[in-house]
Amino acid sequence: MEDPQGLEGSQPVGLSKHPSGIVPTLQNIVSTVNLDCKLDLKAIALQARNAEYNPNRFAAVIMRIREPKTTALMFASGKMVCTGAKSEEQSRLAARKYARIIQKLGFPAKFKDFKIQNIVGSCDVKFPIRLEELAYAHGAFSLYDPELFPGLIYRMKQPKIVLLIFVSGKIVLTGAKARDETYTAFENIYPVLTEFQKVQQWSPSCSCVVEISSLVMEVSFLWQRVTT
Amino acid sequence: MSDSYCPDCKRNTEVVCDHAAGDTVCSECGLVLEARSIDETSEWRTFADDSGDHDPNRVGGPVNPLLGDGALTTVISRAANGSNADSSLARLQNRGGDPDRAIVLAFKAISNMADRLSLVTTIKDRASEIYKRLEDQKCTRGRNLEALVAACIYIACRQEGKPRTVKEICSIVAGATKKEIGRAKEFIVKQLKVEMGESMEMGTIHAGDYLRRFCSNLGMSNEEVKAVQETVQKAGDFDIRRSPISIAAAIIFMVTQLSESKKPLRDISIATTVAEGTIKNAYRDLYPHAARIIPEWYAKERDLKNLSSPKA
Repeated sequence: MEDPQGLEGSQPVGLSKHPSGIVPTLQNIVSTVNLDCKLDLKAIALQARNAEYNPNRFAAVIMRIREPKTTALMFASGKMVCTGAKSEEQSRLAARKYARIIQKLGFPAKFKDFKIQNIVGSCDVKFPIRLEELAYAHGAFSLYDPELFPGLIYRMKQPKIVLLIFVSGKIVLTGAKARDETYTAFENIYPVLTEFQKVQQWSPSCSCVVEISSLVMEVSFLWQRVTT
Repeated sequence: MSDSYCPDCKRNTEVVCDHAAGDTVCSECGLVLEARSIDETSEWRTFADDSGDHDPNRVGGPVNPLLGDGALTTVISRAANGSNADSSLARLQNRGGDPDRAIVLAFKAISNMADRLSLVTTIKDRASEIYKRLEDQKCTRGRNLEALVAACIYIACRQEGKPRTVKEICSIVAGATKKEIGRAKEFIVKQLKVEMGESMEMGTIHAGDYLRRFCSNLGMSNEEVKAVQETVQKAGDFDIRRSPISIAAAIIFMVTQLSESKKPLRDISIATTVAEGTIKNAYRDLYPHAARIIPEWYAKERDLKNLSSPKA
């Protein structure tokens, strides 16, 4: 029984697998593959469309395809990095397309050792979070310095994932080699986040003069609409 | 001439100090009250134009426990009467290379920066200690010294509970950007967490930590300072998603706008090292809560009406 990738938001979420009720959406997959033949970068850059090669800046050809919308870095050794895909299958498909382009250009490209190196996912828990207290409670794993970066950097040990937790409740998970690691990491952090939920303090001030109170009400409605 | 109690006369009598023998003698009965008193005034005077040669000092400088051997080495001096055979020995010793040179250089840099920021000796010493620990772990090789030293000072200030914003430290350091100092700080904390453990724990920064300094830089009155402190306390309850320093700057702006002496945005921007645009944005976020966070005794409702509404 497979979850169709694109319809995750609207499908009823499997509560056995995702007890929190939220599934992180994958935003970026980085994968590598070995084409197993030496490449002539200059020739590739001249012949292929959508390829850029600037040896002074970076020693690889940067090629892009439209479907799936991805970017590939191809090195002279024959190794290739494919980034920008939204799912593992798309990443594999894109890598195959790039290999096909190289084959068409005349190089004996193969498709060896395709491996997904990094999966980036994001989600929204829909409530604000008290980052400072979270940083205090989980000091060994958290790094929170509002001057340097507005989000809390949480380095989970098991699975080894890095999470960026923001005040708004939006979470970014990165460093996974498999989709399940992302899901497990999110399920691990969700109870912690609910524990440090920011309770909204909203006391309507009745002692205000009419003009000020109406202005404040107006602004507060706008503010609520923007933040929820 | 002074008065002191003479045990023979059994009352306070005039006492004379004879400096030749160091005696304190009662002028009435001649009893010596104190013999051979030690003169604690300075032995000699030093002038700027004196020849540097004959230095009557019998002791060296204060011992710095952080420098390897406390600088207790013996060096071969250079004879003043030109170079002769002995100077070759001095040259050979100098060529050996001072193991402490890197640390001494770093300490000098720390000292310079601390002076520029007018930091107390406690913070300076703590920063030097942090650097020494890093040097012991041999992690300072091949790293931007300026950024590392700036980060040491930043951490020392935080640990002492008197944090300085990264931008303030940036302003007095020539060779480091905010990013580099941030990276260096993360590096230092990671390296020393293993060794020092709990003592490297620095709490998160709060707006209140910086208030006193910002307010005094702007020359605000005591009443305004108290109002700002109370406002910051109350503002902590509301969900304002901005850096604590921007919030502090915006609150200072709001409170000064309500007072008689309105500080221009530019002055506040310079004193708090927050960009003018950022202060305006934070002010816009704070404005809806103005009535609730500004203390009653400072500004009445109608004064708040005069508060300029931020142009959305």
